[in-house]
Amino acid sequence: MGCLGFTGCSLVGGRQALPRVSIVRAPAYGPAIYDIVRRLLVEHRVDVRGRRVVVKPNLVEFDPGATINTHPMLVHAALEGFRALGAADVRIAEGPGHRRVTLDLAEAAGYFETIPHFEELFTDLNLDEVSQVLLKDPFSRLNSVYFPNTALAADLLVSLPKMKTHHWVGATLSMKNFFGLVPGGVYGWPKNVLHWAGIDECIADFHAAFPRHFAIVDGIVGMEGNGPIQGNPKSVGVLVAGRDMPAVDATCCRIMKINPASIRYLRLATGPGGLEEAGIKQIGEPIKSVQTAFDLIEPFQSIRL
Amino acid sequence: MDLKSIITLQNHDGGWPYHKAGGSCTEPTVFALLAQLVSKGDPQSMERGFTWIRAAQRQDGGWPPRPSVAQTTWITALVALLPRDVLGRTHFASAVEWLMGLTGQETSFVYRLRNELLSGDISNAAEARGGWPFIPGAAAWVTPTTFSILALEKARRFDTTGRIQQRIEAGRWFLIDRICKDGGWNYGRSRVLGVEAESYPETTGQALLALNRLQPPYLEKALAAAQEQARRCQSSEGLSWLQLGLQVHGIIAEGPGRQLLCRHVVDSSLQVLAQAALHGNNVFLE
Repeated sequence: MGCLGFTGCSLVGGRQALPRVSIVRAPAYGPAIYDIVRRLLVEHRVDVRGRRVVVKPNLVEFDPGATINTHPMLVHAALEGFRALGAADVRIAEGPGHRRVTLDLAEAAGYFETIPHFEELFTDLNLDEVSQVLLKDPFSRLNSVYFPNTALAADLLVSLPKMKTHHWVGATLSMKNFFGLVPGGVYGWPKNVLHWAGIDECIADFHAAFPRHFAIVDGIVGMEGNGPIQGNPKSVGVLVAGRDMPAVDATCCRIMKINPASIRYLRLATGPGGLEEAGIKQIGEPIKSVQTAFDLIEPFQSIRL
Repeated sequence: MDLKSIITLQNHDGGWPYHKAGGSCTEPTVFALLAQLVSKGDPQSMERGFTWIRAAQRQDGGWPPRPSVAQTTWITALVALLPRDVLGRTHFASAVEWLMGLTGQETSFVYRLRNELLSGDISNAAEARGGWPFIPGAAAWVTPTTFSILALEKARRFDTTGRIQQRIEAGRWFLIDRICKDGGWNYGRSRVLGVEAESYPETTGQALLALNRLQPPYLEKALAAAQEQARRCQSSEGLSWLQLGLQVHGIIAEGPGRQLLCRHVVDSSLQVLAQAALHGNNVFLE
C-alpha cells in the first residue's frame, strides 16, 4: 500500500518532519464549529479530492447530554468539511463496544436531528461485511483481526473521539477510538477478546493497521473521573487535530494534565522518546493556555503530569 | 417491518442480511426463520433459509457469524434455538456439543490461579463460572450465556445423562451472580472497579427469558427493573427483549408510549416474536 498524500507518513524531503498538531478554541457546540473544522483541514493540507473518507465518531451510550458521545455537530462539520474539499464519498461509521442498538444510540445522541440523511450516510461497523487482516509484527496476542470492509476501503479514516479519561488505559482519545472498528458482529459486545489480547497493545496494533488517518478530538466538553461512561463532564473548549494520532493524543494528554509517557499504548506506538513535547509542532493555542487537570480515578493518580 | 417485508429481504442464496442488499449472515437468518415459525411463514422461504443455515455449519459443529469469518462463535446458540427436526438432528447435536464444550476464558486454571494469588479475589465462586463467551478465548458474558441456556433447554429432553441440565444450572448461577444493584443485567459484571454498573434493556430481557424457571421472590427486583426499563426504553430491540423476558414471568410489559423504529431484520423479527409471545407462543421456551 503506497504512502498517499494525506497519510500519516511524515517524511518530507528525506528528513523526518515534526508532526503538527493544532489546538483551537471552540467554547461551545455552535455554528462556529463548521468554520473551525474547515480551517483545520486546510491548515493540515488534507487532500481528499476524489477520495473515500470515513468519519468515525465515538458513540458509546444513550446520553441526552454531550458528555459520552462525540457531539453530532462536530461529526456534521467534519462531513461538510471533507465534502467541501472535494471528497468523492464521505461516510460516517461506528461500531459501539457495549450496545448493539447503534442507530438507536445515534438517534438519542442527536445524530438524526443534526445530520441530514444520517441513516443513508451511516454504516454500523458492528454489522458490516468483514475481511481478515493479518497484523504485521503485532504488539498484542492477535495475529489477525476481522475488520469492516467500509473501514478497509477508506482512503482516509478520520477519528473523531471525545476527550475522556478511561478506567482501563488512562485516557481514550483518537487511537483508542479505533476499537470501534472491530466488529461486534464477530467479536461480541463487548469486544472482550481485545482485553485478553492486551488493550494497550491492540490500540497500538490498530493504529498501525490503518495508517491513512486524521484525527479531530472533541474537547469542547470532555469527560473526567471514571470514564469512558460513568465520568463527569469537563469543559475544556478546544478541538485538537492532526495527521499523527500519537502526537494528537499526547497533546490531548498534556491538555488534560496527564503524562503521555505514562500511557502505554502511546509508548508502544511511538517508541522511546517519541512523545516529547519538543518533538511535536504545536499550532494555534499553546497547551498551557488551555490546560486543565482532568480528575483521575485512584489507580491512575500516578499518570498525572 | 412486518413479516412480509422480512421475507422480501431474503437473499438469493437463502440467507438474510441485517440490512437490505447486505450479504447473508447467520443471526438475521435465524431470527427471520424463528419469526416465520411463529407466524405461518412462507414454506419455500423457510426451506431455503434452513438450507443456507445447514450449509453454513462449520466442521467443529458450530456456526460463524457470516460466511467470510472462519471462526465459530456464540451465534451457534442462536442456531440451536431452531427446531431440531427441521434443522436436522445431526446439525443440532453437533451444535449442542460445541456449546457444551465452551466456557469463558476466566475458567482457565492459569487465570484463576493468577487472579486468586495476585488479587485475593475469590468472589468468582465456582458456581458463578458457568457462563459462555461470545467467542472462544474471551470471558463469559450475559448475552451468549442466555442464548446458550435457552438452546440447551431445548436439547435437554434428548439427553439421558443429566449433563446438559448440569450445564444449564451453571449458566443460571452465572446470571444470578451478575444481577446489578438496580435489579437488571448489564452485559457483564454488576460492579466494575468498585462502581455499580447500570443494567440494560436488552440484557435484562434476555436474562429474564433464560431464568424462566426461577420463581419470585428471587426475581422480584429484576421484574420491577425490567418493567421500568420498558417504560423508558429507547430501542425496539430492547423493548422486544423485555417483552419476551417479562412474558415468561406472566407480566405484559408497558412500552414507552411512542413507536420505536425497527432498524434491521433482527429487531423486526424480534418484534414479531415478542408479539407472538404475548399471544402465548414464546419460541424461545422449550
